[in-house]
Amino acid sequence: MFKSQEMEINMGPQHPSTHGVLRLKLRLDGETVKHCYPVIGYLHRGVEKICENKAFFQGQVWTDRMDYCSAISNNLGWAEAIEKLFGITVPRRARYLRTMLNELNRLNSHLLWLATHAMDIGALTVFLYCFRDREKVLDVFEAFCGSRLTTSAMRIGGLLEDIPEGFEKMVKDTLTDIREGMLEYETLLSENRIWLKRTVGIARLSADDCLAYGVTGPLLRAAGVAYDIRKAHPYAAYDEMKFEVPTKTEADTYARYLVRLEEMRQSISIVEQCLGGLPEGPIMAKLPKTLKSEVGEVYHPTEAPKGEIGYYLVSEKGGVNPYRFHIRTPGFLNLQAIPLMVQDALVADVIAAIGTLDVVLGEIDR
Amino acid sequence: MQEMTLLQTLLIATIQVILVVTFVFIVVPLTIFAERKVIGFLQQRLGSTRIAGKLVGITALQNRAMWAMGKFPILHYFRGIPGLAGDICKLLFKEDVKPAKADRLVYLIAPAIAMVAAVMTYSVICFHPDPLFTIPASLPIIGEIPIIGGLPVSGVIAEVNVGLLILLGFASVGVYGIVLGAWASNSKYSLLGGLRSAAQMVSYEVPLTISLLVPVVLSGSINFYEMGQLTTLEMSPWAVPSLFVGFFVYMTCGFAETNRLPFDMPEAESELIAGFHTEYSGMRFGLFYLAEYINMSVVAAIASSFFLGGPWLLPFGLQGIAWDFMATHAPSLVELWLVKWIMAPHWFYFVGKIFTLLFVFIWVRGSWPRYRYDQVMAVAWKYLIPLTLVNLVAAGLVRYFA
Repeated sequence: MFKSQEMEINMGPQHPSTHGVLRLKLRLDGETVKHCYPVIGYLHRGVEKICENKAFFQGQVWTDRMDYCSAISNNLGWAEAIEKLFGITVPRRARYLRTMLNELNRLNSHLLWLATHAMDIGALTVFLYCFRDREKVLDVFEAFCGSRLTTSAMRIGGLLEDIPEGFEKMVKDTLTDIREGMLEYETLLSENRIWLKRTVGIARLSADDCLAYGVTGPLLRAAGVAYDIRKAHPYAAYDEMKFEVPTKTEADTYARYLVRLEEMRQSISIVEQCLGGLPEGPIMAKLPKTLKSEVGEVYHPTEAPKGEIGYYLVSEKGGVNPYRFHIRTPGFLNLQAIPLMVQDALVADVIAAIGTLDVVLGEIDR
Repeated sequence: MQEMTLLQTLLIATIQVILVVTFVFIVVPLTIFAERKVIGFLQQRLGSTRIAGKLVGITALQNRAMWAMGKFPILHYFRGIPGLAGDICKLLFKEDVKPAKADRLVYLIAPAIAMVAAVMTYSVICFHPDPLFTIPASLPIIGEIPIIGGLPVSGVIAEVNVGLLILLGFASVGVYGIVLGAWASNSKYSLLGGLRSAAQMVSYEVPLTISLLVPVVLSGSINFYEMGQLTTLEMSPWAVPSLFVGFFVYMTCGFAETNRLPFDMPEAESELIAGFHTEYSGMRFGLFYLAEYINMSVVAAIASSFFLGGPWLLPFGLQGIAWDFMATHAPSLVELWLVKWIMAPHWFYFVGKIFTLLFVFIWVRGSWPRYRYDQVMAVAWKYLIPLTLVNLVAAGLVRYFA
């Protein structure tokens, strides 16, 4: 009469902590995950194909909407890929401003990650503290380009506008606030016994597995591989910046938490360096009226908050739009590793794993 | 006590029940409001501030006057209170959705079990040691209309010797509401939540009960009122550590029994959506919700009466010790009216302790993450149960020798 069986359960696409429309098919033995199968595509819009049918400069709005938590990083990679294709040299001031905006964006994205990750694990207060500070970063974006989420902040060849009056002070105040806020998060989490119990040793992913699956970003660095594209293949003005690449060797959720917090500190330092050494000059390169491409192809990797985002462009002779456009988004490749991370873990660890991956379904489904 | 007829007993019980239910339905919404406000304060936001603009015209006027004077309107802070009535109305009028393949009968009665079990615990809680008031023998309207008169209405509904047992019994009935509701919903998430809560609540009942045995052993009574009085006034100094440890274990288990953070496994919003009440809506969900808050106030009331000295000032049996100490070493101090007044029992000490503990419930929710399910069980079986057993033995030794 009684028999035991494994239970199949659908986590998502409508679930409070799958960060959007991620769907995980879990096979559970009691609460132990025996098998995990991620299903994606619920947010697919065909960004790459759409961009192939738009003029080069029109692609930016679509990159905004991929990883909507770090629009500026996406914009930057896109703009630099096209500049690489056409051989455009960006003025130094524009490169500094781009670097600064990119790092502010990294702060924004990491704050959002910490907020949602902490809330998934049950620390609701950290969620609101992070949102309080993220709000100020968004205000900075609004002051710069008028938009808070889908910024479209870059232009091919530079920036649309210079920074507004009082912008430096605004950024400095924001950095002070974030620095103070980070002390609060660390007070609430870093040595909290429950937080340690929920994160130490959870969702491990070794360096070999990371490399095999193409996992990049904080996950790779928390596994002990100091690969950061800002250092390895410098772009924008990163070759002129002094910063460190934080690494840990534990490769668990807690190590990723520490790595990301350290990255936030480095970002603050980079923004300060940009503000301190901001050169004078134009912010836009001289461009022809219409961009007509030659035959060519280019792959441009940049370090988005979630890992390596690479734009691959193929162009044809006399084309006004990309012949072929492909985006290597970090979330898509990072998500592949989730069945490995949650094998034989508990349901609660699946939530921690989703949180630590920092998934944004907009970039995974594209 | 004089003999009463059945009718008189029923009359008194009815009055008591009305009073207690009124009390419950005042305290519970206030707790919910306090939760919103305290959590809001911890998280640097205002909490609920809407609704009162039209309903409570006076606060609106005062707010406007204070803005006009250039001051921040303090009253603005309390404008969310009518929102509680709004919440209840919303829950009452909301469509009551039943899942298609739910076990209808069980699905319908599960929230009632949870709610009734929670409210029933109030039947043995002693609000006041003496009769609250006496029903007069006649009503002083035109002439004197005689009614069934001269009846004292006591401060506890069921004056039974085994009050503590009834209380623990009803506390464990509460889990049936959750488990049955979870099973009957025919949803996998609910089922997982129900399984978790069954395991969790059964596990935590063991240390909870053993930690309550400490005051029982020390006082030698299981009558609710006697226990509180004896543990506060008649303790030897050796009993203080036992009561102290017992209090912390009891509060920890209380968090687990009421499904609050950091032990809110059955709900675990981010994992199981809403756990056992995922499929419930409308007032049926409301009953689960109210039951949680009633349980919270019961846990706070029990902890404060057995461990924190109830209506007396000092907790953990220190009251009697301090009084004896003063009487022997500084007799002049005992004579002072202020000292007498401070050391005498007052209801506001009791209420103050309950509110402090409720605040602790909310405070913990605002600061801590959630344990994982197996870790919750480990806390109970690996740490709390051995600790309470040692504590119980210590209390027994104190009782035997001191």
